[in-house]
Amino acid sequence: MAAAISTSSDVAKPFDIVATYNDLLRSDPDLTMPIAAIEALVLLLTHSPSSTISETLDLLEKSTAHLKQSIPNPIGLSAGTDLFQRYLITTLQRPGQLGPAGDFNAIRAHLLSNGRLFIRRAKESRDKIAAFGRGFVRDGSTVLTNGGSRVVASLLQQAAGEKGGPSAVRFRVIYVLSPAKGDVEGSSAEPEGMEMVRALREKGVPVATIPESAVAYSLGKADVVIVGAEGVVENGGIVSRMGTYQIGLLAKAMSKPFYVVAESHKFVRLYPLGQYDLPIEQRVIDFKTEEDVADEAKQQQQQQQQQTQSTPGVKSPDSHDVVDYTPPHLISALITDSGVLTPSAVSEELIKIWF
Amino acid sequence: MTSSTPTAPSPSPAAAAAPTTTTTTTAAAAAAAPPTTSTPSKPSKQQQSQKPKPASKSKDAAAGGSGASPATADGATAQLTPAELKKRAKAEKAARRARERAERDSGAAPGPAGGASATGSASTKKDGGSAAGSTGGGGSRGLPRRGSAQNTSQNGGSGSVSGGAGGAAAGMDKSAGGAEAKNKKTDDKNVAVFGHLYGQQRRTTIAGAGKEVHPAVLALGLQMRDYVVCGSSARCVATLLVFKRVIDAYTTPMGTSLPRHLTTHLSHQITYLSTCRPLSISQGNAIRALKLAISSIDPSTPEAEAKAFLGEFIDSFIREKITVADQVIAGSAAQKIQDGDVIVTFAGSSIVKQTLLLAHKQGKKFRVSIIDSRPLFEGKSLARTLANAGLDVQYSLIHGISHAIKAASKVFLGAHAMTSNGRLYSRVGTALVAMSAKERAGGVEVPVIVCCETVKFTDRVALDSIVVNEIADADELISAEPMQQLTDLPDPAAATVSPADAKKGAKSAAAAAAAAANAAAESNTVAQNVSSPLTGWKESANLQLLNIMYDVTPAEYVDMVVTEMGSLPPSAVPIVHRMSTNL
Repeated sequence: MAAAISTSSDVAKPFDIVATYNDLLRSDPDLTMPIAAIEALVLLLTHSPSSTISETLDLLEKSTAHLKQSIPNPIGLSAGTDLFQRYLITTLQRPGQLGPAGDFNAIRAHLLSNGRLFIRRAKESRDKIAAFGRGFVRDGSTVLTNGGSRVVASLLQQAAGEKGGPSAVRFRVIYVLSPAKGDVEGSSAEPEGMEMVRALREKGVPVATIPESAVAYSLGKADVVIVGAEGVVENGGIVSRMGTYQIGLLAKAMSKPFYVVAESHKFVRLYPLGQYDLPIEQRVIDFKTEEDVADEAKQQQQQQQQQTQSTPGVKSPDSHDVVDYTPPHLISALITDSGVLTPSAVSEELIKIWF
Repeated sequence: MTSSTPTAPSPSPAAAAAPTTTTTTTAAAAAAAPPTTSTPSKPSKQQQSQKPKPASKSKDAAAGGSGASPATADGATAQLTPAELKKRAKAEKAARRARERAERDSGAAPGPAGGASATGSASTKKDGGSAAGSTGGGGSRGLPRRGSAQNTSQNGGSGSVSGGAGGAAAGMDKSAGGAEAKNKKTDDKNVAVFGHLYGQQRRTTIAGAGKEVHPAVLALGLQMRDYVVCGSSARCVATLLVFKRVIDAYTTPMGTSLPRHLTTHLSHQITYLSTCRPLSISQGNAIRALKLAISSIDPSTPEAEAKAFLGEFIDSFIREKITVADQVIAGSAAQKIQDGDVIVTFAGSSIVKQTLLLAHKQGKKFRVSIIDSRPLFEGKSLARTLANAGLDVQYSLIHGISHAIKAASKVFLGAHAMTSNGRLYSRVGTALVAMSAKERAGGVEVPVIVCCETVKFTDRVALDSIVVNEIADADELISAEPMQQLTDLPDPAAATVSPADAKKGAKSAAAAAAAAANAAAESNTVAQNVSSPLTGWKESANLQLLNIMYDVTPAEYVDMVVTEMGSLPPSAVPIVHRMSTNL
């Protein structure tokens, strides 16, 4: 899950939600986007001087919108902010001490403590998912996976980590590595999943790394495909790093089970109808003529000079972190912390949360 | 009520065009039926005996068929003796279907002779056999089912009763007929696969309606029958508004309480409405909600207060479930329309119209391609409205679907109902459009979006369009606007009818009588259009017309259902339905 790190941290305001969000993401590599968003919002509430409910909600809404605007890909993030907002509203509507009649300070204290609880639980959910999903990695099987999903990593590590016990799972992993940061020309930077590859190899799991172009070739040797997701949308499809859709299509064509591992806080209230219906702007298909290329090359040279001077390694935010949408009919099941769900059960879960 | 119809009132049957129709020859049906022996002469004998004295026949059917006795009911009174009148009066509280059949009889009764007069109500009488058959007339006559059904069609009012007896027996005694049965089958005007749907025949007059039925309900019934009030939500709203008037006009009789009695009073109205046209799912849901509200009233509540409560309930139901729901749906569906889109829609859904108008108002640049079909042509007024609003509209009929879908980028569909297995039950032709969008050769998939209020959700399950459907009057297919013909050709109708008559042999007399009655028929039989080759389809052998109203679109062809509770995949329909009914 490539963390969207857009460094727009000019701390002009007393509390900058965007900067906080980015700092949070950077400080903890295990943090997912929705959780970082929720944590940022909780921090915002602790800092805010608001004393009424409507003021709080208003502030929340404004900063959420601000946050969404400043991040190039707010899909994963919006799962968290929506969830938090929903949670807040239901808590406030509930009758009793914490309801509208109650003392606002008590409400705030409650919110903050609950927000922290929520974050802790969300972090724990990864272990839960690993427990659910371990059964999908069978002895002697070969798993094909991609990207840098931390949930997938923890699942595979847990499956591998059962060493010594009687049920040690012996499996192999085919790891699809895409060139780092979407740089087609290939750079010296390490591909996104290398860390996980090393970790798995350390545990004695044989790992093969293949480029994205070799997926179709290698899929015949794989028994199961497990991928992570940035967001799970309402119809049970997933939004995830570019390349997942094609793996899904290939898996379907070769009738290999295609499992998605995602925490339930990644469920987004979003219903894309297709690849081009996502609420984000992605310049993936960019038609150019020779003229445009020449122009761009000039610009890029200038930019690169600047970048190498200031922040080496970090590229402009729109050159990586592109996502695609995998429709539900390609997905066999979603392994979440609320159980293993079929894609159609996702909407049920979402409706439960939202109504 | 008419003013509130979101869907356009379709042109009356007379406005249909072109002779392309859903025709089904009985050849297939005849082949499917087991060609067997036994009782070859019986049907014809019976038929002959029935023809001359229909009144007496119906009388003895009433006395004989135990199950069918309520079916005779009040309708046939015109030609009965006072003693029998009494007997009929007792049967007034018959089951709905039985009632309907009786009322049909009554519609036919005023004619000169039983056999001939029945044709007055167009296709009505032919279903007598199947309808009565399902009520189980307990007859011992070993008639083949189809033979008996057609028997009824020849013999009008009385026939439907005797057909009932025969039809019931046919279940056990399928072996019948031989050549004789085959000959009769050729004359059957019901399409065999849909035979079970012919039971519900539409009322043609308000004669025979119970005295409890409110005049506004009487009017609405006929408006719905004539598609003046058409479209699922429009019918639902109109029904609720009319019921509000019924409740206003209602006074609780002595010795009972409003919550106890009003529901029965309403069910008279409902029965009447459903004889005019089968109730839509939304109507059913609304009525269920209303009845629940009535029964929740404390019996000790003063009448005026209870009525005010119900009036308010109806108003808020319409507002919440339809008016505001439509706005919410239009709002979220319009978000899915982007600049440069080509939206394909089928027929005339009010909610789709609202969506497109809203998107247009939001300044989106898109084109609309309306696909329409006979015989209702609901898309015409949609096209007119959209064009007037300044949208770019293309209008084509369903046979141009493959062409229209080529340019499409999204498909918006209205719904009659969404079933619990996520399938879409909508105007016939919808499935074709959805399928064309999904299976477009070589192209990218076109998303199919259904706009549907949750009041149209049902817990029923539909696997195909055959089990549950509605059959409209087949005559709607025939009547065509007289095309201006410059080259004068001989009338094809004359040529088709005469050989058919000749073939029929024994029954030609009956057919002739029926034809005569047809010509003289009152009310709804459309002004006979000589130019249509199908005009005399009832008299021509081997020809059946099918005018089906709905079809079922598989859930795989639907990408998204936009409801007032959010956008859902079709698989989430049952969950939302459960939630919206529990609330």
